[in-house]
Amino acid sequence: MTLTIDGLDVSYGSRAVLHAATLHAPAGELLGLLGPNGSGKSTLIKTVVGINRPRAGTVRWHGTDLLTLPRRELARLVAYVPQQADAPFSLTVFDAVMLGRTPHTGIRPRAVDVEHVEDALRRLGLETLADRSVGELSGGQAQRVLIARALAQDPTVLLLDEPTSALDLRYQLETLRLARDVTREHGAAGVIAIHDLNQAARFCDKVALLRDGRVVAHGTPQEVYSADLIGSVYGIEAEVSDYRGFPEVRPALAESELLVGAA
Amino acid sequence: MTRTADPAAPADVEALRREVDEAFRAQRARRTRLRVALVAGGFLLLVVSSVVALAVGGAGVGLREVVGAIGHWLTGSASSPDDERTQAIVLQLRLPRVLLAVVAGAALSVAGVVMQGLLRNPLVSPFTLGISPAAAFGAALGILFLGGAGTASPGVVAGALVTSLACAGLILALSTLKKMEPTTLILLGMALTQLFVALTAALQYVADEQAIAAIVRWTFGTVNGATWPQVAVLAALVAALLPVLVSRSGTLNAIAFAGDDAARALGVHVSRTRFGLIAVSVVLTAVTVSFTGVIGFVGLVGPHIARLVIGADHRFLVPFSAVSGGLLVVVADTLGRVVLYPAVVPVGIVVAFVGAPLFLNLVLARKRSFL
Repeated sequence: MTLTIDGLDVSYGSRAVLHAATLHAPAGELLGLLGPNGSGKSTLIKTVVGINRPRAGTVRWHGTDLLTLPRRELARLVAYVPQQADAPFSLTVFDAVMLGRTPHTGIRPRAVDVEHVEDALRRLGLETLADRSVGELSGGQAQRVLIARALAQDPTVLLLDEPTSALDLRYQLETLRLARDVTREHGAAGVIAIHDLNQAARFCDKVALLRDGRVVAHGTPQEVYSADLIGSVYGIEAEVSDYRGFPEVRPALAESELLVGAA
Repeated sequence: MTRTADPAAPADVEALRREVDEAFRAQRARRTRLRVALVAGGFLLLVVSSVVALAVGGAGVGLREVVGAIGHWLTGSASSPDDERTQAIVLQLRLPRVLLAVVAGAALSVAGVVMQGLLRNPLVSPFTLGISPAAAFGAALGILFLGGAGTASPGVVAGALVTSLACAGLILALSTLKKMEPTTLILLGMALTQLFVALTAALQYVADEQAIAAIVRWTFGTVNGATWPQVAVLAALVAALLPVLVSRSGTLNAIAFAGDDAARALGVHVSRTRFGLIAVSVVLTAVTVSFTGVIGFVGLVGPHIARLVIGADHRFLVPFSAVSGGLLVVVADTLGRVVLYPAVVPVGIVVAFVGAPLFLNLVLARKRSFL
């Protein structure tokens, strides 16, 4: 089973954001979406989950056309983790994760809904926080609640929109590990928009590099990361080296740009 | 448990996990029962307060007489002229007044909680879309050109209803151009608020003093002119629309707590839901305001009081807001009839005096939400 995105064109008003984006993500694999700010990573994710409507192109999952699916049915297949939770009022952690059951249930949760929520809480180590208010949690914990909500949705496609950007190093690693483990154990196709190239190289099975709404490379990190390509996409001089079998990207800075010279 | 679970013994781990799950489930079930009990208890308190409110007032009609009069009315056995006088006071004056206070408070508070959730903003009230100044303008038109005076005259009610619905309809129609974004709705509401304030001021500029006094008095908000038809219409509306809102409270939760994008990803038609539920709130608010004038504060604070007591989950919060709003207005109206007796202070004025200290106390005393 594979998530297949083919020739996706998306515009905001007259401004084209994605041009004929074509990608695929097989079940059990995590695909990292890379690229500079404004390259179309979030737009791609929001289009697959049905927040944006594309001008052209198809999104299919195992033969099902996701773009024509009713919203509620789409939500039973595809879950979305936003970058940050922002709510003016707050629920308990348990109730916040229960929101993930919205596409599956009515107003009163059934036993099966409770079980899904308990599983998701356990998976993210949130059981002991279940009765706390989300507003009292730290940023990393709140992010985990969002991931638990997506898991409670019981999706076959998991989309994460820069979930690590606001987190400290420890929670970044934890979130990435979770995203990878969930896609593997759940047999879901995972797609994660992420800025950190080196973390993406370690946790993503495949990566896709976007520039100005176009997919310019798609493959394993080893295949995609070259000093020339990274350098031209981000508009910097880049060096790529090998660290324990993973490619590692560093900006190549002239001696004069560094503080060392000032000392 | 006298020993810790040994990872090498999965059966034990499984048993322990089940035990913990059961404990948490029991705790959550208790919390749910408590919230149901709070809604039921609140409703009971509202009924008791209403009965007490019926017994408050002059004319030597106390609790015993009220009960007697209602009893006579139900059995159709008014005997003496004295009984008939008492019955008239209770049935034609106090009962409609108290009931209108309860349903008006409930309607405004429910409309407020739904609007706050839908627009994801705790500062929003049912009047955010400009309904109260629009209604005030319509009432002023009714006073000037249809010769009405108070909240009971048909011309004033009609004027207020038509303009407030027109104002809200215009905002909803314009907002669909912008995908019903909360900020768009709030800004359009601010613009139309200013417009209708100016229009009313313009009318006052050309009106005579008697009309100006009537226009200003209308905006105080009162249940002095309560009539049975008003009670019937508003009670029927609340009875019909409250279940609709409660049935959509899961969707409302998704929009309020997850945000527009994430709610869409949860399968919710955000724009459509927002349009529909705001329309429901608008109807509740416009009809209420047309009958009572502007009873401010309750639509903003009723929801907050309810949220502080019962938590933010709309499945419980929506019905509990009806209770908190009804209580706030009926208690305020009763106090308004007592404090300067025999003068009656309009409930729109008293409600802030009652609600503000209560609200301040709840906000400051809160360490975390109770539930």
